[in-house]
Amino acid sequence: MAVETDLDLMLRVRDGDAVSFEVLLRRYRLPMVSFFRRMVRDQTLAEDLAQEVFLRVYKSRERYQPNARFTTWLYRIATNLALNAIRDRRDEMSGVGDDDSDGHSILQQFASPLPNAENTLVALERAKIIRQAVESLPENQRAAVILHKYQEVDYRQIAGILNVSESAVKSLLFRAYESLRARLEPMLREGEI
Amino acid sequence: MKCLDTERLIGYAYRLLDEPAAAEVCGHLQECTRCREAVAQYGRLDAVLNEWHEPGPSPAFDVRVRQAVEAEQARRERWGFTGWQWARNLALASLGVLMVAGLVWLNRNHRGVDHSTLVATQQSPHAGGAQNSGAAMNVHSAPSPTRVDVTPGLHAPSQESVNNGSTDDKDTQAMEDYDLAANFDVLSEIPKGERRVAN
Repeated sequence: MAVETDLDLMLRVRDGDAVSFEVLLRRYRLPMVSFFRRMVRDQTLAEDLAQEVFLRVYKSRERYQPNARFTTWLYRIATNLALNAIRDRRDEMSGVGDDDSDGHSILQQFASPLPNAENTLVALERAKIIRQAVESLPENQRAAVILHKYQEVDYRQIAGILNVSESAVKSLLFRAYESLRARLEPMLREGEI
Repeated sequence: MKCLDTERLIGYAYRLLDEPAAAEVCGHLQECTRCREAVAQYGRLDAVLNEWHEPGPSPAFDVRVRQAVEAEQARRERWGFTGWQWARNLALASLGVLMVAGLVWLNRNHRGVDHSTLVATQQSPHAGGAQNSGAAMNVHSAPSPTRVDVTPGLHAPSQESVNNGSTDDKDTQAMEDYDLAANFDVLSEIPKGERRVAN
């Protein structure tokens, strides 16, 4: 049986098909939550925002026009919500820059594949450094890198999501990757950390 | 050999270049050690970034989304309107309220002008001095209900009338006693008393 496209599913959701909405929810729940986790860090807020994305998709289903890819529309909603949340919480987040509040969940993530506690802690520390490096990027660069690197969205599609030109997206990514290379240089040399 | 700029190297490493540009960089890398090393470093950066994992949604996430969607469905069924319909109906209702308020305001404003005109016509027989009589003539000579520009101070009470007591009381009494039909000559439309003054 062929996999139904997002477009087909969304058109059926528009016609009131609850099952199709459920399929879309299952397909994009993990990408949405992990996107928000990387954008805003906080697990609870990330899930609240992901829930809001699905609710907005549902609310606006009758007005859905298949002009662009479904994921472009979905990530545009998500990115706008994330950037607003970051701006709302900017002061709050700056005060907890070195906080490791999500360490427990990362610990759970690494618990099974790594053989011992020491490796787990090292992995945890490295993930924390990477996260801080990404969080240090300006908002648009951060969104572009997370979409490109972690959500595997093509740069042309990112242009549609961020509502900027393709060359502007390339420029954002060039600067972001160069900043990350500079910040993470010790990790790029084997044995440094 | 001149090294390529950083943007092209990053673009090559992260597949941001189109086919001809990527082929050009690839050819250069076969001959330039420094650029090859730079691209390798971006490759290592890519691998390092992969070390950042994030956990998936909590088990309750799907349930929460379904509950939110069901609540939205129930809300819509209860009110029978979508968000856009609400916005449209609210805009129409606001427009209606504004129109009614505007009509009421216009009506009141119109009645207020008539009242001030009437007061102006009533003040003149009681105001002393030739100046005030002349001013009153100008007002009385235009008995039509159209808007009259009552210049502030033109009908101000004389010092004598102020000294003799409250002008408000006199004005009120005058308004009550004033009989338009009796005081206006229909043909000339000039009050009889004022016509004597004019003659």
